[in-house]
Amino acid sequence: MEEIGSVPQWVFNIAGHQMVLNKETLIMTWIVMAFWVLFALLATKTTKLVPNPLQSAAELLVGTWDDLVKDSLDLSDRRYFPFICTIFLLFWISDMLGVIPFLSEPTKDINTTLSLGVMGFIVAHYSGIKFKGFKRYLKDYCEPIFFMMPLNIIGELAKVISISFRLFGNMMGGSIIILVVSYLIYSLVLPPVLYAFFGLFIGTIQAFVFTMLTLVYISVQIK
Amino acid sequence: MDAEFIVKAGQYIGAGLCMGFGAIGAAVGEGLTGGWANRSISRRLEMASPFTRTMLVGQAVAETSAIFALMVAVLLLFTDLSGNGICASAAAIGAGLAMGLGAFGSGIGAGYSSLEAIWGASRQPLVGGQMTTTMLVGQAVCQTPAIFALVISFLLIFGNYSGIPAWPYSAALIGAGFAMGFGAIGSGWGGGQAGGAACEGFARQPRLKGALTTLMLVGQAVAQTPAIFALLIALMLIAMGPKEGNLLVSCAMLGAGISIGLGAIGSGMGNGITSESACKAVSRESSVTRPMMTFMLVGQAVGQTPVIFSLMISLMLIFGNYAGPPTLPGAMALLAAGISMGFGAIGPGYGNGITAAKACEALGMQPDKTGLIMRTMLIAQAVAQSTAIYALVIAFVLMFVV
Amino acid sequence: MDISGADLIRAACFLGAGIAMGLGAIGPGVGEGFVGGKACEAIGRNPDEAGLLTRTMLVAQAVSESTGIYSLVVALLLIFVV
Repeated sequence: MEEIGSVPQWVFNIAGHQMVLNKETLIMTWIVMAFWVLFALLATKTTKLVPNPLQSAAELLVGTWDDLVKDSLDLSDRRYFPFICTIFLLFWISDMLGVIPFLSEPTKDINTTLSLGVMGFIVAHYSGIKFKGFKRYLKDYCEPIFFMMPLNIIGELAKVISISFRLFGNMMGGSIIILVVSYLIYSLVLPPVLYAFFGLFIGTIQAFVFTMLTLVYISVQIK
Repeated sequence: MDAEFIVKAGQYIGAGLCMGFGAIGAAVGEGLTGGWANRSISRRLEMASPFTRTMLVGQAVAETSAIFALMVAVLLLFTDLSGNGICASAAAIGAGLAMGLGAFGSGIGAGYSSLEAIWGASRQPLVGGQMTTTMLVGQAVCQTPAIFALVISFLLIFGNYSGIPAWPYSAALIGAGFAMGFGAIGSGWGGGQAGGAACEGFARQPRLKGALTTLMLVGQAVAQTPAIFALLIALMLIAMGPKEGNLLVSCAMLGAGISIGLGAIGSGMGNGITSESACKAVSRESSVTRPMMTFMLVGQAVGQTPVIFSLMISLMLIFGNYAGPPTLPGAMALLAAGISMGFGAIGPGYGNGITAAKACEALGMQPDKTGLIMRTMLIAQAVAQSTAIYALVIAFVLMFVV
Repeated sequence: MDISGADLIRAACFLGAGIAMGLGAIGPGVGEGFVGGKACEAIGRNPDEAGLLTRTMLVAQAVSESTGIYSLVVALLLIFVV
């Protein structure tokens, strides 16, 4: 039970400042990246008209997100599609990684979710400035009344925090629940059910929610 | 005063809180079920015995959370915890709060599921058997927060606190009780409303069973998220609560528990009614099934923002640095920060849920206007969250400026 | 710990500020949510009037916000002025 508080880290010094890297999170993220690179290589190796299972799975994923992005953004070019689809793929497999023994979810670390949330924030606002022009972008903060400006600004920051913390809280909560329940019932029967619920079911839903919200925030900025 | 007396006193207070609060929810839920069962029977006299059977089954499931509360209360009455150190007193009170309040929402929610199941069966008698299955699934998922509360109660009761000084760890334990107790109310009640709507939709359109069950399960799962946050904070308070510190630390721990506990009520209920409305809309207009899932998830997710603010404030209060002198104003400021964010997240969470629910309904009426309705919903939710942002600002001011 | 009168008053001020903003956020939250919900429903009935409906919704939400702002003002007064 004591392992709840401890985080294995690599600490080293660069130019007088201390850099702290969370060892477990990094390695798990690399594993997820390796998985998707391998999947992509295998799925697109021989593209036939009648696809093999890997290729159909890839087409399903790509097709679904392409439709969702096209519905939300109404753009003729698919500029945002790779970014959005990658976020979903990364978070989907990351959330499910805890089911495999000796592996754990990198999204259990607030750094992972917060960094992708900030990335989405930057993409959304950069697109907003590029599409609407700087003046109109600033004016939109004063909608509907001038006094709403500080609230709108805080609201934008709140969006980033809410999507990041939502995914983090769900994953962290799930892993702690599994840890505590396994400790209480001596790891009999129940833990695989919990892993299936938290890792597979809730992990998929929360990855989907994070990605959809990023997409929606980008679309709100562009329109 | 001997530690033994303090611990026993705590145990008895905890037992009282546990059974007292725990009896409310299940009773109300069962009463709702029974009342609507009667109404259904009066509509279809020939189905009196299957309805009565379904009613009894539904009531039995609604009873489970009260039985959990009874179990914890009896444990508190008759186990001898005085060997566990003086913090066991606060642990017992925390356990009583957690299980007592935690049984409240699940009991009422389970009642909603079964009442809709029986009423739906009265309108569509041929689906009786399958309706019971849907009802049980919906009720089972909305018992989850009560199960979380049971886990926290057990952890609190059977923990070993020997050698740990009374304060501030007692504050952390009571805070854990607040967090899980209040935090389970909204998710349990909301989840139950979603289950009820799925049963009603199933009665309306029996061929939509798969789609409705999926929508219900996904909606309920997302509505459990505030309870999961509450569980997270409760576990952190128990496992990583400070063993030594001054009045500042005590009040910070209490504040953290209150913040996430109260904060989860509004969002949990709001997410539940969003999911309820989504299921109802799909049953009336089956062509919106695919976009409705996405829409409901976005509405629920944005509606969870207030509870995420509460989570953030709780985490900051738990992991804060309290090196200053233990003054009464300083301590009260930390407690007030938790109270501010806790209560402050109830209204916006529930309001966002109402907005998202009506938006799902509107989507059912205008299936091709997804973009327009989603944008309006997001704007409305963002404005409704402004009071939660005020509460967050006041909490920050109380924590850092004072 | 011996509590002076001034300390007790400060402590009470902070507690009051927290309670004021906390409880004060319940009403506007639910009210504005209800306004937003009915606006979405209205747009569902009449999508062509979306602009007018959205503007009316924002005005209504701003008015409902007023008691929340009163709570904010009282809380800030309690913390900084009293």
